[in-house]
Amino acid sequence: MKYIIRLTIIAALVSAFVINSFAQEKMTKEDWQNQIKDVTAKQIDLKNQFTGLQKEVSDLQKQDADKSVALKQCQDALTALLGPLEAPFVAMLDAIDARLNELTPLSNQDLWARRAEIDSVQNWIDIAQKNPVSAIQKYQDRLKDQQTRLDALKKTLASINANGETMPTYTVGTWARDRDCLWNIAKKPKIYDNPFLWPKIWQGNRDQIKNPDVIQKGQKLKIPPKAALTKEENSALRRYWSKKNAQATAKP
Amino acid sequence: MKKPFALIVLGSAIVAGSFVGCSSNPSEEEMKQLNDLKAEVTSLEKGIAAQQSEKAALLKSIADKDAQLTQCAKDKDAFQQRLKSGQ
Repeated sequence: MKYIIRLTIIAALVSAFVINSFAQEKMTKEDWQNQIKDVTAKQIDLKNQFTGLQKEVSDLQKQDADKSVALKQCQDALTALLGPLEAPFVAMLDAIDARLNELTPLSNQDLWARRAEIDSVQNWIDIAQKNPVSAIQKYQDRLKDQQTRLDALKKTLASINANGETMPTYTVGTWARDRDCLWNIAKKPKIYDNPFLWPKIWQGNRDQIKNPDVIQKGQKLKIPPKAALTKEENSALRRYWSKKNAQATAKP
Repeated sequence: MKKPFALIVLGSAIVAGSFVGCSSNPSEEEMKQLNDLKAEVTSLEKGIAAQQSEKAALLKSIADKDAQLTQCAKDKDAFQQRLKSGQ
């Protein structure tokens, strides 16, 4: 009998332990109450936040609508101010764009053939800049972009010859080592083999050479095709010697 | 042998049951209440995120329009100046 009672108690303890370990995975009433309290507090806080945000958004929507109205009024007033001046001005900008779109993809040879049009486009841009409508920022930006595109075409044109080929260049060395001056450069067999053609190099590099007596080491000079001096080059040469003579005469 | 064994099993069940029966659990209805509350919290969090997004977009729109208004006023001035200067 004693044996049976002891065995019963041990078995009961073991069962209770096993059953309880399963029972503990289910929430207790106390846990539930704590969670209800926490989640309710969070809910109230979030509701307040949400309400606050809704009001802010509503106010901002009104502000945004008011700004739209003000902006439209300003733009309408500007359009009225520009009046009949705007449409022809925009047509001029469109024409400049159209011409640039034609010239930009041309081969070097074709660009050379149409080089006079580059001056025309520059003329149009200059006229447009003088128009009061160009004071408007968006048109200023458009003209600036057009000038940039035209400058790129001018640069290409300056670097090609009549055959559309990129002109050869010569990098200036030093007087001490290379005896580089325009006369000696033109004298080189690989250049013109003729020193008297030095004004051709000078005139072909007016953007770099202000004074033909002064060239700098490292300058990359474009070498125009060998040919007799043009009328402009001869004129420049005459002016050069005239100035030189005047300076020589003026010295005490 | 059978009788003592049956006694052991019955006795164990009674003792074990008395241990387990000491703690109480929330009812199904109470668990539903808790889950519904949690779902509402999730929904509120999503709603707040959406409102914050809209607020950010509106602030950007207002800033853009302010910049355009400033430019518009400058353009009007600049044009009138050019007309006056006769260019």
